[in-house]
Order: sequence, then C-alpha cells, then structure tokens
Amino acid sequence: MKIIVAIKQVPERDAQVHINSTGKWIEEGDMQWALNESDAYALEEALQLKEKHGGEVIVVSAGPERVGSTIREALAKGADRAIHIDCDDLDQLDALGVARLLSAAIAPESPDLTLTGLQSDDLGYGQTGVILAELLGLPHASLILHVEKTEAGIAVKRELEEGWFQTIELPLPAVLTIQSGGNKLRYATLMGIKKAKTKEIRRITSQELGSAAAPVVVLDRVFAPQKQKSTQILGGSPKEAAAALVEKLKFEARVL
Amino acid sequence: MNIKSWTGEKSSHPNLEIGLLDEAYRAGVRGLSRVSGSRDGPTLDHVLLLGSNMIFFLPTLAEPRHFAFQEKLLFIALAVSSGFLFWRRFGPILKKILASKKDADFRLFPLGRRMWDFFWEVLCQAKVIRQRPLPGLAHAFVFWGFCAFALVTLNHCAVGLGIGFLDPSGWFGRFYFYLAALFAVACAVGILGLFVRRFIIRPKWLGDKLSWESGFIALLIFLLMATYLAAFYVSGTSSSARLLWWVHTITLLVFLPIIPHTKHLHLVLSPATVFLSRGGFSRIPPLDGDEDFGLVAGTDLTRLVSLQAYSCVECGRCTEHCPAANTGKLLNPKEIILGLRSYLNECGPASAEPLLGKYNSQEAVFQCTTCGACEFQCPVGIEHLPLLVGLRRGAVNTGAWEDDHGAKLFLALERGSNALGMSAAERDKFIQKQELPYFDGSQEYCLWLGCMGGYDPKGREIIADFVRVMKYLGASYGVLRKEKCTGDPVRRLGNDLVYQQLAESNLETMAQAKVKKVVSICPHCVRTIQEDWKEYGTPPEIEHHSEFIARHLSQLPPAESQEKIVYHDPCYLGRYRNVYEEPRAAIRASGQLVEAPRSHERSFCCGAGGGLAFLGEETGARVSHVRAEELLATGASTIGTACPFCNTMFRDALATKGGNAPQLLDIAQLTARKLPAAKPSDATVR
Repeated sequence: MKIIVAIKQVPERDAQVHINSTGKWIEEGDMQWALNESDAYALEEALQLKEKHGGEVIVVSAGPERVGSTIREALAKGADRAIHIDCDDLDQLDALGVARLLSAAIAPESPDLTLTGLQSDDLGYGQTGVILAELLGLPHASLILHVEKTEAGIAVKRELEEGWFQTIELPLPAVLTIQSGGNKLRYATLMGIKKAKTKEIRRITSQELGSAAAPVVVLDRVFAPQKQKSTQILGGSPKEAAAALVEKLKFEARVL
Repeated sequence: MNIKSWTGEKSSHPNLEIGLLDEAYRAGVRGLSRVSGSRDGPTLDHVLLLGSNMIFFLPTLAEPRHFAFQEKLLFIALAVSSGFLFWRRFGPILKKILASKKDADFRLFPLGRRMWDFFWEVLCQAKVIRQRPLPGLAHAFVFWGFCAFALVTLNHCAVGLGIGFLDPSGWFGRFYFYLAALFAVACAVGILGLFVRRFIIRPKWLGDKLSWESGFIALLIFLLMATYLAAFYVSGTSSSARLLWWVHTITLLVFLPIIPHTKHLHLVLSPATVFLSRGGFSRIPPLDGDEDFGLVAGTDLTRLVSLQAYSCVECGRCTEHCPAANTGKLLNPKEIILGLRSYLNECGPASAEPLLGKYNSQEAVFQCTTCGACEFQCPVGIEHLPLLVGLRRGAVNTGAWEDDHGAKLFLALERGSNALGMSAAERDKFIQKQELPYFDGSQEYCLWLGCMGGYDPKGREIIADFVRVMKYLGASYGVLRKEKCTGDPVRRLGNDLVYQQLAESNLETMAQAKVKKVVSICPHCVRTIQEDWKEYGTPPEIEHHSEFIARHLSQLPPAESQEKIVYHDPCYLGRYRNVYEEPRAAIRASGQLVEAPRSHERSFCCGAGGGLAFLGEETGARVSHVRAEELLATGASTIGTACPFCNTMFRDALATKGGNAPQLLDIAQLTARKLPAAKPSDATVR
C-alpha cells in the first residue's frame, strides 16, 4: 500500500506565542516548532499499515526551510521518503490554497491512501484534508481513529459525539483525516534519525506547482483569548445557595 | 646441627645452659648465616632461644636439598602442562577481551588517579574491607598472603630446578620466610573463615547454588599454607621435607589451571580492571560515531566492558545493595554481569546476536533506578551503570524498547519542556505568583527550578522556602525565562536523541543568559548539568542547595527544637556527588539528626531514579515503601530529604500511614521554618 501523509509544522506546545506587528500572525523569530499532533497520529496509522501490509509511506509538507526538521522527524519515525513544498508565504494561504499545493504534489504519486491530521494545532481550520480530497476527486472520511484493510478497500472507525463510534467502508484510493488518540505514538530514535539522513527529501517550490490563487478566506486578525475569570462561590446554607444560584441563572446568565 | 648438640656440652648445668643460649641468641643475631652457612653443610634446623623472660622458637624452612634428574624432569613436565592448561583457558578469554571494540574515550593518563585506585582498592583492599569488614578482612589476609607468597613461590619453583635463590638460613631468607609464615597463618585463618562463611553461614548474596569449586579452591589455598608452615617443623634432609615440597608444588600446579574458568579469574584480571576503570561514578561514555547506538550486540562490547564482565568475582555485593533485587524485581546486577560473561563465552565479541534476549532480559535492565549502589560496592572495579545504561541505550536508540509510559515520557520531552508533560505556561504562572525575579546576568545565582520545582506542588513549596532562605541571606538570584528538562530521565533511560536535544538547548539558553553559577534543589539536575552536559559543551558551575545552605549556616538562626529528624541520603547527592555532610549540617541546625540503618554511601534508593519515577507500576514491593518503613522505624518525627524526587516518592509511601505519618520536609523547608515570618517587603526583593 502506497500511503501519503500530509503533515504540518506548528509552534511547539510550550512555545510562548507573541503576535507580530501585522496583527495577523505570530512572531516566528525564536519559535520552537513541532509536528502537528493529529498529523503525528496520521503518520503513526500509516506506519502501522505499512508494517502490516507492506508498501511505502511518503510524507509531504508545505512550508519554509524550517519545515525540514519536522520532515526529518517523520522520516526518523519510519517514513520512507518525503516531499517538501517550499513556500515562504504559508501564512498568507487559506485552507484551499494549502490543499491546492498538497494535491498538486500528491496527484502525480497516485497513492492508495492519503492521510492527514484532523486539524492543525495553530489555525485549526479542520478544512485542508477535506478540500484536498475534493481536489483529488477521491472519497474521504474525517475524524478517523483506526483504519483496517479489507478485500474491497478499507474499513475505518470514526469518532462521533458523546462516545459513539461509526465504522464505515471506503474503496481505495481515499483520503482520511485522522483524529488524535487512536494509536500509541512511537518515539523518535537515534537510529531513525541517522537513517533519515540517507532518505530522499524532494523539494518542489510552490511556483512549480503553479496554483497561487487569491485566498477565499481572509485572515483578519489573531489575538490571545481574553481572560474571563468570573467564578463565584455562593455561601450560606445549601438552600440559600441553591436559591441564589437559580436567581443568577435566571437573571444574570439567562439560561433558565 | 640442632640445638641439642650445639648446647649439649654444658647441658649438665641448667643455669649455664640458659646463659649459653643467651650467647647463642646474640651470636645468632649477629651471624647466624655464618653458623648455619652453606646449603650443603650442617644447617641450623631448630634454634631455641631463651631471652631473660621470653622463649623464642625459631625454626628454619626446610627445603629438599637435592632433586634427582627424573624428579626435576617430572617437575618441569608438570609445570609446563599446568601452564599450558592455564593458557588454554585464559588465552581465549584474553583474546575475547582484546577483540572487543576499543573504548573510544579511554585515556590512560593522568596516571595519578589510576595509581591511587590501584593502591587503595587493590593493595590496601580498602573497599573490600570497608564495605564488609569481617569477610573483607579475611579476604585481605588471603590477598596479602598471596602477595607475600609471590617471592616464596618463585623460590620454591627455583629450588625444584636446583637454583633456589633464597637461603632459608641466610638473614634475608630467614627474615622473608618468617614474614611469609606470618602471612601464611593469616591467610590460612582467612580462607578457613571464608570457607565457613560460604558453606556454613551461606549468605544469600552468594547465590542458592553451592560452589564446590570454591570449596576445592579454599582447600588448595589452605593446603598451600599448611605445607609451607609445616616445612618449618621438619628437617631439610628428611623425606617429609621432600613430600611437603611436592604437595605444595602439585597444589600450586592444580590451582593454576582452575583460575581462568572460575570466579578466581578475578585474581588475574581485577587488578587490571581496577587500574583501567573509567573512573568517576556512573560515567556514561559518549557514543562513537554514526553506527554506535549503545550496547545492542556483541560488536558493541568494548574492551572495558568485556574485561569487567570477566572480572566479576560473584561476591554478590551489588545484589545485596540493589533496590530492585531487594524488592522482588527481576533485576539482579550480578546476573547481568554473569549474563554478559556467558554471552562472551558463547557468542563472543564479534557476534550480532542481541545482548538482550537469551543472556539478559530487557525487563530487568529497565528496572534499574541507577542508584549506583552496585557500582559503589563492587570490589573488582566493575562499572555497572555505564553497562546498564549502555544496554538501555541499545534498546531505546534502536526503538526495541516498547513501553507506554516510556514512550509518553519521550514524546513529552520531544515536544515539550518537562518530563511531567505540563505546559510551560504553568511554570510562568508559578514564577509570577511567587514573584521570582528573572535572571538577567546581574545576579550572582541562577536558580534552576527543574521540573519538580517548576511544576510539582511539593517541589514548588521547596523552591518557595529555599527562596526565603536566599532572601534572608541577601543572596541575589534569578530564574531563567525558559527551562527545559536537564535530560536526566532520558539520559538514564538511554534516549540519546532527546537527551542531546535537551542538553544542547539548555546549554545555549544558559550561554545566552550568561549564567555563571547555578543552584538547584534537585540532585538529578545538579548531576546532569555538571557531568553529563559536558559531552555537548561547557556547563556553568552548579551546586546543590544543601551546599549553599551549609555554607551559610553561621548566618542562619540556630535550631529551635530538638525534634528527631532522620535524613535520607539521595543517591544522586551522596554516591554521585559525594555530598554527605552538608545536608546533615543543615539538619543538625534544625533538630536532632537521626541516622537510618542504611545511610551515607550505603543509602537505600527511594525508587525514583533512572527515569523510573515516570514509568509504570513496579513489580514486587515498592522501593519507596521499603525505604519509608526503614526511615519510620528510626522513630524520628520528621523525615528530612534533599531531593524533590525522594520527597515525592515518600509522600506517596507515607500517604497510607494517615495521621501517624511523620512530617516530610526538605532541608530547605527545615531551614526556612526557623526564619522570621516573611515581611511584606520581602516579596519585592529585586
């Protein structure tokens, strides 16, 4: 099975984020970067499928030079080769723009399965994978926790609301967006990193993929969540507290 | 000439006889060699000397005077076959050691440390005696006996060839043979004692299986001594002297070929092992090139590792002190070494067979808390920790180790800043809440918080109290804006990739912030920063807060109470850093110090080290509970700790005690509680 995993480099979970002067993105100066979490699960699922059924895992990622470190991490964990779409203006693109780049890079490979994370930890559109499937003209399913190969194609386990799961079957080729937590992630090893040095990373510029259309979704402004601390402890006897609570729910919160 | 004939002429007068003997004694002192003279002439076999009120019995070692040609031939034939048998077994061992990979970081110089170790640990038998006084002394007597016998044995063999060079009645020969006789008595007593210990007392550390070989060897050693001593009581011309010489010789020649395939190989190897050891404590060698992932297969074994594996004397001191082996885990450090030896014997150093599998178990290797009791105790210079960590490196760096908790820890440190998997924002919040100043290069100390100090509730209390102490003393300090884990847990678990990332990132942060002096509440951080980071740069000077507090004790208020405080030595402060007295001084300044049965360099681990604090539930009894019980049994009302990990382990162990649990306080807390209550102005210092 030939599997492509589209991955994104995002600010490290512990990074201190500062908004830059344009007000539309963050300062990237001394930012530490990491692999997007649900993409890590997509990669893990791909590696496990490869270990079970054989084949090849190719990672593809769009972004500037710095993305190379995340690509090497994916190679170290077991991906066979990589495609780096070199573009310095990723923050100018919307989900459609990114999906166009990815589809242009993925289509010539004609993979059996394309996986990507459910959404990115930074922008969190949750759109890229789904649009990518549309652009490739392939069936897709989102929120996938587990993939099983069947005679006809694949059976996937989807996460629904409130602890419900759904199992559906899809033909191949297909595109899946993977939810975090379905597998246990493997850790990167020194041996993997050393082996990754000899693996192929093909670089293509975004211009070569030729799809610089104007974004349809325009990012207006990014800002830190406003602090809202409005916890109140209602004193008195339980009866009094309950009465005060009802009062507040009715007239302050207006939910009753 | 014997004494009777010599004094015979005046024997009718008892008093005169005494006088004559006195004269004889004086004459003997001046010129006995002249009197007893040549090897072929009459020899003074027994001299009875009576001083004014002392009686001396001065026999002479009897050596057969003459050997027939056939006898000499027989001796040569036996000696050659014994030497041949020895070499047939020892040669392949030496070859395996030398065929192992060279130790990339090995430096013979400076020799001073090596010579001292050799003098102190081998010649003085200091470690052997200090850690097990009675058996140690018995062993030392045997060892010293062997040393004294080197010359005796050489002469003994030379006599067999008719070229003996020590004259038993010459002044040097006489002196030396008497000296050797004293050692022979001590050695015989020693080996008897060791025999009784091994076969009658049978301490469990020696293993369940009785080693008959050891019994046989004890018999041989005893026979060697007995035949030597007996030779003082027979005449050189007698056939008994000849018989004794032959029994002594054959014993020696039987002993020699047994050495290489029994634990007595340590006779030959361990002096070299001690001399050549890496030195330091738990020194983890750097990986050598792109193909080195730690100890994966035989091809990764280095000469030092192989030499150490063959040097094991199977005394079981490592196992006796091992927290894992003592709480029902699979790990037994002695068996790890012997497993490695079996590997070398059966597969050799060129083999691709994994080191973990048939010969040693991966599970056992990952049960080690890296407390270092084994390495500290080992009398033959085996360095267990580089070996155990090396095996872990082999398993982790290649991805062979699969453990949910371990993977979680590694992922937390690949992506985040701390082993607890918390957001760095939590640390920022704590710093703001405590109003800790940021380090800007103007302060004297950089206060390293570590994961416990930055994120753990109890660790934060310790930091808060230590900060009070620093403020009281007027010490200037600041904390770094961002800190990553020092890499201690991943270093000990063998994840070189993450460890290197963390060490390099932290070194860069410290260099940028121009940090010169660091103080930390965590012995693990102190050790890793000071020693382990050296592989990737030049770490700043660092000290543990116990050293800081001890240095300033005179400026701190004296003890207010006489409550009993039992101090628990953290492994990474004691054995790893040799800091025993500073935390004790801090405790003495806060109450009455009580010692646990196992303390100082024999302290028993809390169970947290080696990354184990972050792994799953232990098998067998919990190390922390065993140690907590021991501390409780001292009757102290407070347990004093100097490591936030020990503290957290005991907090958990004492939770089951409810209201009867003693207080659990770090030395910083014990010190801070004597200080006057914080004034509001204190909060705005710097």
